[in-house]
Amino acid sequence: MTMSATSPELEELLLRAKKGEASACDELARDHRQATYIFALQLVGNADDAMDLAQEAMLRFFSTLDRFQAGRAVRPWLFAIVRNLARDFWRRGKLRRHQSLDENVPDLSRALADPGANPEQATLAAERRHRLWRAVSLLPATKREILVLRDFHDLSYAEIAQVLRIPIGTVMSRLHAARKGLRREFLALETPATSGRDS
Amino acid sequence: MSSDREHNFDEALLSGYLDGMLTQQETQRIRLHLEACASCRQAVDEMRTIREVTMTSTFSTPPDDQWDERPRGNISRLSFGLGWAIVIAWVVGLLGFALGQLWSGPESLTEKLLIFSAISGFALLLLSVLIDRIKRLGSDRYRRIEK
Repeated sequence: MTMSATSPELEELLLRAKKGEASACDELARDHRQATYIFALQLVGNADDAMDLAQEAMLRFFSTLDRFQAGRAVRPWLFAIVRNLARDFWRRGKLRRHQSLDENVPDLSRALADPGANPEQATLAAERRHRLWRAVSLLPATKREILVLRDFHDLSYAEIAQVLRIPIGTVMSRLHAARKGLRREFLALETPATSGRDS
Repeated sequence: MSSDREHNFDEALLSGYLDGMLTQQETQRIRLHLEACASCRQAVDEMRTIREVTMTSTFSTPPDDQWDERPRGNISRLSFGLGWAIVIAWVVGLLGFALGQLWSGPESLTEKLLIFSAISGFALLLLSVLIDRIKRLGSDRYRRIEK
């Protein structure tokens, strides 16, 4: 069951989880673990590191649940944990990939799920998706993270500000810079011979 | 896309327009500009298309049975700690008792020293293993996870 950001059902579920009710914890974990994993993957670009990060983030989420304020959305809280952990893991050399997190990441298009039914349409759409995520992989972390938070995970500007710890007024300008960067990379991958690259 | 100087407005508003985050007045202003500016119209159209492709993407995710992120319960942690404390107290008490008995026994000093050094050796080996285990426990990311 997926609930809206701050529905009464979610409030009740959080309350039960805070009391340590196992079924409530399981339900919360089921609702959020995959998004947590995907965000971690989009940050570090490696499936094993992403799994370690997501697992640790979920664990930290449950251990700090008593500090979680009622009425807040779960996902921004969780994503903020993932982001902090990614930096922490990198600092302590716990990531399998040791380059700076501010650089680009391995090709994210390799982690996409297989395309759907109609083979012809699927191939065209899939080719486009793969090119898009290759372009996302080429963006620096500051652009990549704000872009996926808005355009993939569909977070509001306020929620993005919460995850990235930036003023809400900065979100729009940073997001626009990221979108411009992505558009440039996306078009460059379409015609690699004619376009330069700027990240 | 042309520059801010040509537009006389912050270019980032184009993203705000795309996301429906602008005031009515700003939206109207951008709409009027887009009607007149082909390069901005093209940029917004392309960003919208890219956004749609991003939103409709799906990633492979690990199956549910690979996850176990629920922390150990308080009772489980308490009994774990208490269990270790009792075992350690029992081993120390037993060793102390055995050594006391040995020292006050009828054996010669050489025999006492031989037995004492053997027991001390084993105790030191056990202690080193215990220290290693405790150190590893500190860096084990999954120590608080139910297994």
